[in-house]
Amino acid sequence: MPFFVTGACLDVLDKSCIEECPVDCIYEGGRKMYINPRECIDCGACEAVCPVTAIASDLPLTEPNRPWRDDNVAFFESVLPGRDQPLGSPGGASGLGRVEADAPLAAMS
Amino acid sequence: MSGDEVDLVVVGAGPVGLYAAYYAGFRGMTTAVVDSLPEPGGQVAALYPEKLIHDVAGLPGIRGRELVRNLLQQASAYSPRWLLGQSADEITRLDDGRILLRLTSGTEIVTRSIVLAAGIGTFKPRPLPVGAEFLGRGVDYFVTDLDAYAGHDVLVVGGGDSAVDWALALQPVARSVTLIHRRDRFTAHEASVAELHRSDALVRTPFVVHALSGDRSVRRAILRDTASGELHEIDCSRVVAALGFTADLGPLTRWGLRIVDRHIIVDSTMSTEVPGIYAAGDVTEYPGKVRLISVGFGEAALAVNNAYVAGDPSASLFPGHSTAIA
Repeated sequence: MPFFVTGACLDVLDKSCIEECPVDCIYEGGRKMYINPRECIDCGACEAVCPVTAIASDLPLTEPNRPWRDDNVAFFESVLPGRDQPLGSPGGASGLGRVEADAPLAAMS
Repeated sequence: MSGDEVDLVVVGAGPVGLYAAYYAGFRGMTTAVVDSLPEPGGQVAALYPEKLIHDVAGLPGIRGRELVRNLLQQASAYSPRWLLGQSADEITRLDDGRILLRLTSGTEIVTRSIVLAAGIGTFKPRPLPVGAEFLGRGVDYFVTDLDAYAGHDVLVVGGGDSAVDWALALQPVARSVTLIHRRDRFTAHEASVAELHRSDALVRTPFVVHALSGDRSVRRAILRDTASGELHEIDCSRVVAALGFTADLGPLTRWGLRIVDRHIIVDSTMSTEVPGIYAAGDVTEYPGKVRLISVGFGEAALAVNNAYVAGDPSASLFPGHSTAIA
């Protein structure tokens, strides 16, 4: 999963990225967006349009970005507050809608 | 067109599908290539035609567009049948074991085997949020024939390579070209954007289409400046909506294939769980899978050669070397 959303998206949620993603894999959390690592096809279309440069790649992964990469994974693979199982791979963000929760790092930032 | 028969249908005209078509031709199989987009090249052509690709063996750096052109030339040596602008829809197993493939256009084709080089699935143009009623009546998603725009006032919508390239290509034939994009920043190749700004095209950002009006065909567009909220009305008799694509596996999910996380499970011969159906490229999944163009090319050769032997068990799996061909 080379692409993920960093903390620069916190409380911005511009969502330009959603309009570009060809596979509908960018999900909306409470305070930021999250890219589903199992659904992203690494095309990079979202990175170019983010007005706050919040989308980063793990090729190469920088140390300041590492926690955000991990938090992005946790959004899908851990059990979020108010849910009883991980989101996993829902196969499209538009079908799921907004998720009223955040991964741990985003939630406490 | 019922009754058409081929040895192999390749679903997907991206790099891997084109290479599969080449290999099928090399093995003497009659081949048809199906793709939902009107032009070959798949994801590379639709999403990043100008990106330099550095990891194709033997090519230190090649633009997507050029790679597609080369692959097309390679595949065309064996004259496959091109069935573009239509997607694979349904399969029916015939009594003799062959497969009747029905396309979304209604075309039917009988084949012994299918290679699914389907990538991330069927590309669908992202629709304009307004003016759906003018689709095909002045509003199009693709420019396939420049002459159809002769003498027209053309509005191009979008900020990617397709939008900018079409705006540039249309200038010599159209009466006027206006390009709008919802952001100030373009995703198209920098040199093309610079050329657009130097050209006679009117470029307006950050603008969106607010409404389209007309009679039998589109006549006028109301544009909205999203920064100021102001509306601007312009004459336009043709609209090209180049807003990018979405993709999904669509009808393939109903073929009885084993699909996990949008990928088709294959074995080491690239066979799916449905007899006669193989897969290659980004769409496949197996232990150790790496989604790279070079891996896809290898899988295309595996899929085609295994499909060939399945059709003629006395044949050799190894195709011989291409250098032996005069």
